[in-house]
Amino acid sequence: MLKAIDLPQVEAGSSGLTRFDRLFAQFYSELFGLVYRVLGDRMEAEDTLQEAFLKLADAADLQAKPDGEVGAWLRRVGLNLAFNRLRSARRTRARLERVGRLERADEEPLENELTGPAGLIVREEDRAAVRRALAEVPERQRECLLLRHSGYSYAEIAATLDLAVGSVGVLLARAEHAFRATYRRQTHP
Amino acid sequence: MTISSLSCPDLGAWRAWLDHEDESPRFDEHLAGCPACQRLVADLREDAASVHAAFALLAPSGLPSAAETVVARERLRSQRGHPTPIRLHTQEPVPMFIRRISTPWRVAVGGVAAAVTLSLLVAFTPQGSAAAASFLAQFRSQQVAAVEISPQTQTDIIKTLNALGNLGTVKTPSGVLDPARAEAAARSAGEQVKSATLAEAGASVGFTLATPDPATLPAGLDKAPQIRVMPASQVRFTFDKSKASAYFRSTGHPDVSLPDKFDGATLVVSIPSAAILQYSDKSAKDALIVGEAGELVVDVEGGKVSLPEMRDFLLGLPGLPQSTVGQLKQIQNWNETLPIPIPVDKVNWQSTVFNGNQGLLLNDNSGVGSAAIWHANGHLYGVAGSLKATDLKRIADGLR
Repeated sequence: MLKAIDLPQVEAGSSGLTRFDRLFAQFYSELFGLVYRVLGDRMEAEDTLQEAFLKLADAADLQAKPDGEVGAWLRRVGLNLAFNRLRSARRTRARLERVGRLERADEEPLENELTGPAGLIVREEDRAAVRRALAEVPERQRECLLLRHSGYSYAEIAATLDLAVGSVGVLLARAEHAFRATYRRQTHP
Repeated sequence: MTISSLSCPDLGAWRAWLDHEDESPRFDEHLAGCPACQRLVADLREDAASVHAAFALLAPSGLPSAAETVVARERLRSQRGHPTPIRLHTQEPVPMFIRRISTPWRVAVGGVAAAVTLSLLVAFTPQGSAAAASFLAQFRSQQVAAVEISPQTQTDIIKTLNALGNLGTVKTPSGVLDPARAEAAARSAGEQVKSATLAEAGASVGFTLATPDPATLPAGLDKAPQIRVMPASQVRFTFDKSKASAYFRSTGHPDVSLPDKFDGATLVVSIPSAAILQYSDKSAKDALIVGEAGELVVDVEGGKVSLPEMRDFLLGLPGLPQSTVGQLKQIQNWNETLPIPIPVDKVNWQSTVFNGNQGLLLNDNSGVGSAAIWHANGHLYGVAGSLKATDLKRIADGLR
């Protein structure tokens, strides 16, 4: 059996998996969905998660905390890293180049969706409009929208944003209203 | 007493109710009798539906599978500096050729460098007992062959390599591979990749670079490539009996030990210099990549171990997938054949002739990219791009 000598050996069980291994298996996929929505690029999303989990690997104390706390921390770090990445002008340029190329080729066509070059262009313009509108929403509202529409519960959103669970509804309602108004301006000027 | 007889629930409470976060029947009762709240809930519902539809556009086409998650974890482990015996980073020629093609490729490539290395370790040893008596001093890559791997075998190979790193010491061009310094070493290796003109690149790698026939290049491609040179390097792995014993003890196998004759034996992998021609189009900097490298050479120095013995030992490493071992044993001319791991869940492949030389033509299952790899006249060639395989083959055939 192999020993993961470079990662903290917290709670290595009979399966041979470390605590870190289990956290990675538990959160990687769902975090990918969250971070991808920010970046729109699988490669960038993977790299962002590598950074996030590297930070976790260095934080033995954090790993010892309950899963819920670790998950909230990972979502917070993942979102921060993703937005930082997005803000980098150089990376953003490269990303936009790639998004245009990869999303077109990578995505499976949906039923009833426009196909051919015209459909591809329409889809890409729609995505760009969503991202532009999202960028105009205040940061906290933006994170709340991303979390909720990635499928997280109010309790998980509250833990991530360090809010009372009872405050999530109003933040989300305001965020959705603000986003919708901005998005409508983008798409129907 | 009901909510309808009290003040109206606030915005947040109604939003939570819409998401079934609070399913108290009192909300329904209140709503039935409160026109103001009915209007509010209708607005909230519209906002939520509109945002939901917009955000659906941002969702990924699929989430990473369990196998891809394992590969990502192993990639992180390597990045963090797990003592992988031979991690080639940007200097490894084959993965570089196909590195940036698309996500499916990229996912697969995570373990390819490691797999190539392991394949080499195993493949340069004699095939079958008939050859066991011979002692071959060297492996020299002269041709390529496909070795099919699955996500699971890919993971197993990486794990096996990681374990191998505990049996000795790895020396890379930047020194002894220390887990704590692996990231800096990788960065240093990356910095050695230099831009150059065609003539400078040729002088640097020691041969005249083959270039594509412009007539075969797709329209829209910038005809002037960016040229990058990766210097030759050498990785040495020296078996260390005491280190291996400590490792076996720590993993609960005190009865296992490295044979004495392995102590001090060094496996030397000489990675040739390589040149990469990177062609851009308006959507990507790496729409087409053409690479050329010299021979990859593997030697054994020191110790008293023969290659057949080395082979037996490597094949006996715990965790090495038997399907991989079986395929490597099937390779004819093992001492000059570079095995190319093919992640068959992501990539289709076929054996093809390029300019009279046998090679591999690969294309990913999504149709995003394709690649060609072949050996000719002592050089390893690779062409990769976001192209149909037929178009890519035309470019490969036109290299002069």
